Amino acid sequence: MNDSVTRQLALTLGHLYPDQLNLYGDRGNIIVLRRRCQQRGIELRVVSLGLGDALAPDEYDMLFIGGGQDREQAPVAQDLHDTKGIGLWAAIEDDMPVLAVCGGYQLLAHYYRPASGPDMRGLGVFDAWTIHKGPRVARCIGDIAINWNGSTLVGFENHGGRTYLGTAQPLGKVLKGYGNNAEDATEGAIYRNAYGTYMHGSLLPKNPHFADHLIGLALRRKYGKNDWDNSHINETGEWTDGASSSESLEIKDDDPSVVLTPLDDRLEWEAHASLLEHMGLQDAAIAALSNDNGLKVS
Amino acid sequence: MRKRRPSAKLRRAGLRSGERKGTLTPNRTEKPSERPLTVARGQRRLPRSKRRPSLRAGLAVVGGRTAGALSRRLHLGGGTSIVGLVAQRVYPDIVGHLATQLEHGSVIVTGTNGKTTTSGFIAAVLSDAGLRVWRNREGSNLMGGIASSLVIRAQPNGNLRREGRAISILEVDEAVMPQILQTVPARVVVFTNLFRDQLDRYGEVDSVAALWQQALGTLSTDTILVLNADDPTTAHLGEAFGGRVLYFGIDDPALDLKAQHDEGERHQVIDTRICPKCGGEYSYDLRFFSHMGHYHCAHCGNQRPQPDVRAVKVQSDDFDRTRMQVSSSLMAGTSKQQQEIVIPLPGIYNVYNALAAATVAQAIEIGWEPIVTGIEQFKPIFGRGERIHIEGRTLRLLLAKNPTGFNEVLRTLFNEGTHRHVLFVLNDNIADGRDISWIWDVDFEQAVNHTSTLVVAGSRALDLALRLKYAGVAQDKMITVTTAPLRAIKPDTSLAARKKRRAKNRNVKMLEEADQQPPLTEISHHYGIAEALDSAVRQTPVGETLFAVPTYTGLLEIQRELERRGLTPHYWEGRDN
Repeated sequence: MNDSVTRQLALTLGHLYPDQLNLYGDRGNIIVLRRRCQQRGIELRVVSLGLGDALAPDEYDMLFIGGGQDREQAPVAQDLHDTKGIGLWAAIEDDMPVLAVCGGYQLLAHYYRPASGPDMRGLGVFDAWTIHKGPRVARCIGDIAINWNGSTLVGFENHGGRTYLGTAQPLGKVLKGYGNNAEDATEGAIYRNAYGTYMHGSLLPKNPHFADHLIGLALRRKYGKNDWDNSHINETGEWTDGASSSESLEIKDDDPSVVLTPLDDRLEWEAHASLLEHMGLQDAAIAALSNDNGLKVS
Repeated sequence: MRKRRPSAKLRRAGLRSGERKGTLTPNRTEKPSERPLTVARGQRRLPRSKRRPSLRAGLAVVGGRTAGALSRRLHLGGGTSIVGLVAQRVYPDIVGHLATQLEHGSVIVTGTNGKTTTSGFIAAVLSDAGLRVWRNREGSNLMGGIASSLVIRAQPNGNLRREGRAISILEVDEAVMPQILQTVPARVVVFTNLFRDQLDRYGEVDSVAALWQQALGTLSTDTILVLNADDPTTAHLGEAFGGRVLYFGIDDPALDLKAQHDEGERHQVIDTRICPKCGGEYSYDLRFFSHMGHYHCAHCGNQRPQPDVRAVKVQSDDFDRTRMQVSSSLMAGTSKQQQEIVIPLPGIYNVYNALAAATVAQAIEIGWEPIVTGIEQFKPIFGRGERIHIEGRTLRLLLAKNPTGFNEVLRTLFNEGTHRHVLFVLNDNIADGRDISWIWDVDFEQAVNHTSTLVVAGSRALDLALRLKYAGVAQDKMITVTTAPLRAIKPDTSLAARKKRRAKNRNVKMLEEADQQPPLTEISHHYGIAEALDSAVRQTPVGETLFAVPTYTGLLEIQRELERRGLTPHYWEGRDN
């Protein structure tokens, strides 16, 4: 590693509407991203983007948008459309990782049609739409587990609207719970590196592999994919270029989180498995524990 | 299957506690009435035909009480809410029929936090004022429980026994409030506050507010509304009401969050930030916690109403001795407009509870003296800070069931930088709310480095342990006691062993470090609330205090466990310290 160059890694997370869209535990996702970066010596700056703030795509490496109450969602929808729409589109087309939960997910689809009143227009990032079928149709409330990328994601869902996917690819297949609409066993949506989901709980604490996936995407996007092939992040977050030692990691195209230093995630996976067990998904629970520590079985 | 078990457990636990506590609070002033029983006083609405309703009422009472006795005999449960349910089946208007007979009418208390303590304070004050106080049992705050509380006190002729000097204080669940207001003619209605709580059950904060607003539309203008001036949503309820409205609030700038924390404002869960009139955002001159404080809307000028009863100075003498100077415009003509009141409970939330009680008392023209004695001599209700002696240690229980409640309990515990022995219990039964995401909104960061010992328990112990881990609590500083072992972990393929194997296979250098980690000792190999309590007690040195902070059903489990160990109510209701 003689002629290697080291530099400090830093990421900036844009947190959209933290004051308006903060219903139940969305903050947990931010806490988890920050700490998982910090433990690897990666600096994660979190910038709040409130109503009226412009979104300059160049300034961020990752975006998060949560869910809120209906009353608070209307001005947000307006602002998203008028002020941040173009920046957000540009960021997403440029492969920026975006996590949109619940209300945020609905706002990134085409529209939200309430039981009464006019449609709320969304950004149309996901080719999907949401319909609220009125107070007589039960809300989708409860624990949820889905299949994602060969593993499981667990969380809690609580939504009145039913989301239907057009050409959008779902985030995963529902193993237990309702998902997008309680009809087609799909949950969430993916467009490029933007992920929409109904899962909170919070989502990321019990799904460390998904948290790392997002961090990995952001790192790869910022520091370039090719560089990763011969590079290595050490425990202090220094990133070494041109290391040609036998220990260099092999990067799989589909899993950017592999380059991250594994953390001690036993507690995370036990919590994950415990919820799977509660839902009666015993095999998935066993599989989750054999996947511990953020390492994927090759 | 999982859905059924906890609720059955809860039901058992709840009923047991109810039997022990007695459904209606036997009060200090309970004396035989000198008044003849025949005249139903204070009756505001006449039954359609005088004879039939009282016959039906009589049938309803007999039916309900028989059902209750039967259900107790058959061990189907404690038979408390069934009394009301059956009686209502026989005569749907039974509650209204009985409630109108109370000489002093009914006080209804609702809100997210502080219902039980506020009703407790009111009951104590009114008892000291010489009234006969009837209450619904804690936790039985839905329609059935409220109906039972009256039916149990009724005679087979359909009339209440000893209704003279009687006043009922009904603690009502915020979601069934509209139903109750339609049935019970209320003399005073108290709204303590509105925070997010169990979104899976109540829906959003805004929908509860809308429900309340609607319910008030049908309320008689003879009713007096008592509202928290410092909570924007609650205070706003007074705007459209045609009757008398009294506000209570805190006017002590020293309690402002910014004045309290030099290191900057802590994370606060704020559930109301938008002015209901214009949609503008509230600004705060003073903020005491969450969205409680002195707010105004810069856009339309809507602002906090001037409270009638206000705490002008609040001092904490001790962990659970708060002294406040209360000024009341309702006492303006009297010799004493200002009065010192001592609250035997910790936290700002109890200042609000006491203020609400004082306001109710003054609304029905009760003077300072019973207010002062009632509040000061108040015996904490189970789970609200009372002391229990256990193996030479003192156990104190502080219920925390939603983010704001939890934040305030943590603030009370760790405010002065004190180190505490703590047991957290997080359950996700129906009564707790199935969704535990809210723990990520609680500022557990303030507990970091301030716990001498820490045990985490409950059906979602792992989630809470994870929350604490991300707050920065070292994992070897806490013991996690789950309710049951994870079946997915097989003893022979321990995590450490598998990790080691995989590390070798993958030839990842950095895992060598992980291999030297100690095994996962922080997860206990014992399970359940008894174990959790034991390990928390064992860790607490003799003579010191263990603070248990459970969610609602966690509290019931602890209560049951203490009962099993012979720590009867006698112990925990006595103020022996």
